[in-house]
Amino acid sequence: MSETLRQSLDLSLFWEYRYTVLAGLAQNVYVFLASAALALVLALFVGLSRLSRHRVLRVLSTAYAELFRNTPEFVLLIWVYYVLPILISKLLAAKFSLSPFLAAVLALGVAYSGFLSETVRAGIQSIPHGHVEAGLSLGMSRFTILRRIVIPQAIRRMLPEALSQFVSLFKATSIVSLVAVPDIMYQVSMINVDQMRPLPLYTGAALLFCLVIIAATQSINILSDRWRKRGWA
Amino acid sequence: MLSPVSAGGPILRCSNVRKSFGTNEVLRGISFEIPTGSVLTIIGASGSGKSTLLRCLNHLEQPTSGEVYLDGELMGLRIKPNGTRVPDKAANIGRMRAQIGMVFQQFNLWPHMTALQNVTEALVQVKGLGRAQAADAGRKTLAKVNLLEKADEYPARLSGGQQQRVAIARALAMAPKVMLFDEATSSLDPELTGEVLEVMRQLAHEGMTMVVVTHEMGFAREVSDRVIFLHEGHVDQDGTPEEVFVKPTSERCRRFLSSVLS
Repeated sequence: MSETLRQSLDLSLFWEYRYTVLAGLAQNVYVFLASAALALVLALFVGLSRLSRHRVLRVLSTAYAELFRNTPEFVLLIWVYYVLPILISKLLAAKFSLSPFLAAVLALGVAYSGFLSETVRAGIQSIPHGHVEAGLSLGMSRFTILRRIVIPQAIRRMLPEALSQFVSLFKATSIVSLVAVPDIMYQVSMINVDQMRPLPLYTGAALLFCLVIIAATQSINILSDRWRKRGWA
Repeated sequence: MLSPVSAGGPILRCSNVRKSFGTNEVLRGISFEIPTGSVLTIIGASGSGKSTLLRCLNHLEQPTSGEVYLDGELMGLRIKPNGTRVPDKAANIGRMRAQIGMVFQQFNLWPHMTALQNVTEALVQVKGLGRAQAADAGRKTLAKVNLLEKADEYPARLSGGQQQRVAIARALAMAPKVMLFDEATSSLDPELTGEVLEVMRQLAHEGMTMVVVTHEMGFAREVSDRVIFLHEGHVDQDGTPEEVFVKPTSERCRRFLSSVLS
C-alpha cells in the first residue's frame, strides 16, 4: 500500500521526460490560442447577429449557438476529423482531408463560439441603451457607436465569464490526443507504452494542467484589477 | 464655427407632429416654431408626452406623422415627387443630429472614457478633428462648465452634478444650433441641481437656442421666452412665462401648476 502510494507521488519519471511533455504542452497551447481566436471572432458575429434587427439573422444565429452549445466537444471533434472530410470529398468529388491540428482547432473553436456568443450577447445587452442614444444624438453612426462605446464596455463586462470559458477551452484541449495531435496526453500515453507506469505520468499531467491554468487565471485577474482601479464602474 | 442662420428666424420648426406607440397615441398633432436664440420650455405631468416630443425633435423617436425642420431642412424624411414619405439615409440623419445637442436625465456619459474623452469623442468621430485639436476644443468647453480640473477623471469619480455638466459640455462642444434638455436635473439630489441650472442659465444668456423639458418651474419662469403646457399629447396652454404661470386660461394648466408649486 505505502509502496504504491510512494510511487504515485514520485514524479521523478515525469521529470525525466520533461522536454517531451513540454513539447506536448506547447501543442495544447497552440490549439488553445488558435481555437480561442476562432471562437472569439465567430462569437462576436453570432452574438451581434442574435441582437440584430433582422429576423433571419436572429433565427440563424440562435440556431447556430444552440447547435454547438448542446453538442459535446468530443463528438464534434470526431465528426470534424472523420465525417467532415468524407462529406466534403463527396461534395467536391475529390480527395479531401484535414490535418489533426486543423480539425482540433475547428472543432473546439466552433464548439466554444456557441458558449461565447451567449456571453457576447449578454455583455452587449448589459450596456444601457442611453449610452447608444447619447452617441446617436451627437450624430455618430451605429457602427461607430458599436466600435467605440458598446464593444469596449461589453468586453470589460464579459471578461470574468469569458475567462471561465477559456479555462474550459484549455481543459478541453486535452481531448485532441484522440485525433493524434501530439499534445500532453498524447506524449504521456506514448511514454506510458514504454514505461508502463501510469501513476506518476498521468498524475504529473493532471498537475501540469492545473498549474498552467492557475498561473494564467491569476495573471488575468491582476490585469483586470488594474482596469478596475482606473475607475470604471 | 458660425452657423448660417438668419437672426431671429425659426431654427427649429415642428408641424403637426404625431407619435403613437402601438395603439397609444402619445403626441396628437404638435406644431411650434423656435426662433434663433430663444428658450422654449415644455412643462406637463408625467406621461403628457414632453420627453417623446423632445426625442422627436432629433429623431431619436420617429414621428408617426408630421414634420420637423432644422434650419429649414426636413429632418429624417425624404418626400418623393409622388408624395410618398421614405426614411432618410442614416448618414443624413446623423449629419443633422450633430447640429442638435441633447442632454439626458440619466447623463449617459460613457464610463470607460474620461470627462475629456467623453467631450472629444464626437469631435473626432463625427467632425473629423485631429486628436490634439479636439482635446484643445474639449478643454475649452470643460472650462466653460467649470470642470477643467476634472478633465482626466472617469465619470464614476464625479458627482451627479459634475457628470451632468460634462454631458452638457459634450453636447456643447459640437457647436450645436439648438440644445435639447430632457429633465436634466430630475435625477440629481436637490443640492446638486443648482450648479446644472446655473450652466443652463449661462447658456441661455449667451443666446443659445434651447428646448427645455423640466420640473423646475422657477427656472422655467426666469429663463424661458415661451412656455408650452402639454396635456395628453396636446398643447393645452402656450405663451410667455407670464401668461402661463401667472394667468393661465386652461383649468388643467392651473391645476397642474398649483400641484407642483405647492
